Amino acid sequence: MKNKLSWFAVPYVVWMALMVVVPILIMVVYAFTTADFEGTTENFSEMGSYASVFLRSFRLAFVATLVCLLIGYPVSYWMAHEGPGFQRVAMALIMLPMWMNFLLRTYSWMSILENNGLLNQFFKAIGLLDLLGVEYIPMIGTSGAVVLGMVYNYLPFMILPIYSVMVKLDGSLIEAARDLGADSSGVFRKVILPLSLPGVLSGVTMVFVPSVSTFAISRLLGGGNQMMLGDLIELQFLGGAYDPHLGAAISMVMMVIVVVCMVVMNRFGEGEEEAVML
Amino acid sequence: MKTQSRAGSRLIIGLMFLFLYAPILLLIVFSFNAGDSSAVWKGFSLDWYAKLFQNRIIMESVYTTLLVSLLATAIATTAGTFAAIGLYSLGRKKREALLTVNNIPMVNADIVTGVSLCLFFVAFFQGWGSFARWFNSVQSAVELPDRLVLGFGTLLLAHVAFNIPYVILNVAPKLRQMDRNLMDAAQDLGCTWMRGFWKVMLPEIKPGIVSGALIAFTMSIDDFIISYFTAGSASSTLAMAIYGMTKKRVTPEINAVSTLLFLSVLVLLVASNVKEIRQEARDRRGIVRQPTALDQLRLKLAEPRFRWVRRGTAAVLACAFVAAVVFLSHATGSRPVVNVCSWGEYIDEALIEQFEERTGIRVNYQTAESNEALYSLLKSGGADYDVVVPSDYMIGRLIEEDMLEKLDYSQIPNFSEIDSRFQNLSYDPANEYTVPYAWGTLGIIYNTAMVDGEITSWSALYDEKYAGSVLLINNSRDAIGEALLYLGYSVNTTDEEEIREAYDLIADANRRGVFQGRVMDEVFQKMEGGNAAIATYYAGDYISMLENNEDLAFVIPEEGSNWFVDAMCMLKGAPHQKEAHMWMNFIASTDANLANMDYIGYASPNREALERYPAYYAERYGEELDPGLYEIMAAPAEVLERCESYGNLPAATLNLYKNLWTQLGVR
Repeated sequence: MKNKLSWFAVPYVVWMALMVVVPILIMVVYAFTTADFEGTTENFSEMGSYASVFLRSFRLAFVATLVCLLIGYPVSYWMAHEGPGFQRVAMALIMLPMWMNFLLRTYSWMSILENNGLLNQFFKAIGLLDLLGVEYIPMIGTSGAVVLGMVYNYLPFMILPIYSVMVKLDGSLIEAARDLGADSSGVFRKVILPLSLPGVLSGVTMVFVPSVSTFAISRLLGGGNQMMLGDLIELQFLGGAYDPHLGAAISMVMMVIVVVCMVVMNRFGEGEEEAVML
Repeated sequence: MKTQSRAGSRLIIGLMFLFLYAPILLLIVFSFNAGDSSAVWKGFSLDWYAKLFQNRIIMESVYTTLLVSLLATAIATTAGTFAAIGLYSLGRKKREALLTVNNIPMVNADIVTGVSLCLFFVAFFQGWGSFARWFNSVQSAVELPDRLVLGFGTLLLAHVAFNIPYVILNVAPKLRQMDRNLMDAAQDLGCTWMRGFWKVMLPEIKPGIVSGALIAFTMSIDDFIISYFTAGSASSTLAMAIYGMTKKRVTPEINAVSTLLFLSVLVLLVASNVKEIRQEARDRRGIVRQPTALDQLRLKLAEPRFRWVRRGTAAVLACAFVAAVVFLSHATGSRPVVNVCSWGEYIDEALIEQFEERTGIRVNYQTAESNEALYSLLKSGGADYDVVVPSDYMIGRLIEEDMLEKLDYSQIPNFSEIDSRFQNLSYDPANEYTVPYAWGTLGIIYNTAMVDGEITSWSALYDEKYAGSVLLINNSRDAIGEALLYLGYSVNTTDEEEIREAYDLIADANRRGVFQGRVMDEVFQKMEGGNAAIATYYAGDYISMLENNEDLAFVIPEEGSNWFVDAMCMLKGAPHQKEAHMWMNFIASTDANLANMDYIGYASPNREALERYPAYYAERYGEELDPGLYEIMAAPAEVLERCESYGNLPAATLNLYKNLWTQLGVR
């Protein structure tokens, strides 16, 4: 009986080998070869000159993740304490934008942040620009715009896992803590925070990974001035500087760094799997 | 106290929703704008919705998106469910090892998954190509296709690949919760395994399957990055179409799409929530619902004697779905096609319709961003084009790398109408590969309302005075070429020192924050909307911009500039060669050249069209063409004398360009 069922796994193992393992191996091969497929480590020794892109990507993704956490955590907490009707509507409202494509949402910010865009027109109308003596406040093409785009697009990925943990949080634990003499901050530090940590960790992962590797958001809102790892990789494959070997090497380094980050973080959270999905 | 804090928290939640929804509301509001700006309101209209349904690129991409998402969800859900069942009957150690591999696509950044799949497909195609050629040469009974390219198939495979892990992750917990003895019990009681599966296991794990399918569908719909790397040129999802549009002149058709998408999702969400809320309210009040006629029908059908009716209906529905898919793909696939890749804003679209009506050949018209991006696209195996329209120096490179097919000029009689000035140019000295499409000059476009005085030199591009309002052209050849010209060098120099000096000039200006961004066709929106003061672009596009913003001026700087010819060529091994020749012949005709010249503003290489254009303009618009404008479009000989054309560069120099260009983004 058992053996018969385990045959179901065989096609999937083959599939995974073909579609997950082999592609990554091919990427590794590309990373260690030249255009004529001779072995080299040059692609990696060149990496030093892209250090600033690595730094910028990780810095912006870190800031975006932090902002998402600072907004997402309290909002999830408060939402979990509202009535069921409120929660249902709020959850639906948070999920709704995810079914619209993120490029549409990002594009909308372009028209808001342009030098002659809606926000600057608004500032002009209320006289702020005259007050400051400038023609416009530069917003598009700055790193702030890129972070804004990331926060805007990935905030739901932070709220959903934290909320799903908060909602399951047993209220009697909090009461017990209070009865035992804990004050509000004590309850938060000793009970709520540790219990919600798995949600926070998966939220952080779900925001950080796409943020660090994005290229569309930085391209649209950063105007090509805020090059990130994703842009650097895209440039080597479909952009203006064709070099898939260098692109593969950068992808590989990024993959390793992200995986190391994840492993370190999961050490803290002891890998609560259920929290990963909604 | 309590209520006060709740009001405070609600205020913050409300603000968050304002942040989430304000941009979406803006998109919706401007979808009803009569003008084509996304920042200036010009009155209410439904035009963009009407235009949307005529926009083939968007409509086809919507169809592709839905089809790929539905198919990928169906396949991934079925495969993932069985895989999860299989995994859960393995020992703990094996299972955990396999689940770790399963998690790879979810933990990995999308771009890594996309890139690795792209490389994998291309490697596979190459292997397959040599196998098929060998196979076809040893036998003649079966002819295997030896040229595979990225397309719908690879897109679907990629979507299935990243969807399966989500399905498994959702089904797995349900399997863990299920009592393992249940299946044994069912079989002891005489169920076959199949029956046990349908009656016992499936109902137990159904919630997991449903949520897995939902997440898979959401991921498919929302995906951009993986599709971008695996779809190739032939099929594009809505996300890819939007990304392509944001790089060009954006029209509110995008807003109309967003609005429709938003409303349909909203309706679905409201409907499902209302149903649930009603159900819960009934449960709470303990009311037993009177069975409606529909419920009674459902109950009746559930009786065993109607089993065959049920199965028959399911089979008919499944067949209908497959038939619809086959029919739709057939309907788009059976007509002869020609795949054309050109630049954005570079054709009078009425010409495409004319050609289709006249010949019955469907034109699959795509655009690339720059010569360098086109080259990457061709090299990375993603392109399935027949005709491309690169510029002179890139044609030289493509010929040198044996990527173009020689043309049969007997099929292109209109080639004789091409001015001899544009035949046998240095990139194609014997004129075996090319049919010129348009020509023009590179120059500085500036907004006279934002710049004091006249601009006459390339130095304006690197001047701190205009910090934050200069747009750098986003391709290495033009950007470095401008700097070389400013420094007084040749645009075709191979001297590394000179090229590095030019690069340093750009990099230094970049460091000082002179450039607002790097743009290609985004330049239309930026310059027309007054969002930037100075840009460098092509004369023809200046003519188009001038129609939307009268403050713009064009100048060919005193240091001289570049003049270029873009020509149609056919790619090596192009699958639709006859159609490609017909298209080139059609485009080379005088009528097509006149229409194109009028629409895109670039000068025509067709002798008659170039001469007749002022008369054509006067006849069509009832007013004389400004001779100054005509000179900008078709630069006279004395201007061309100051201009140099780009030639193909040796490999070492190309490599230097590539490295410097990558470095530029790295401040």
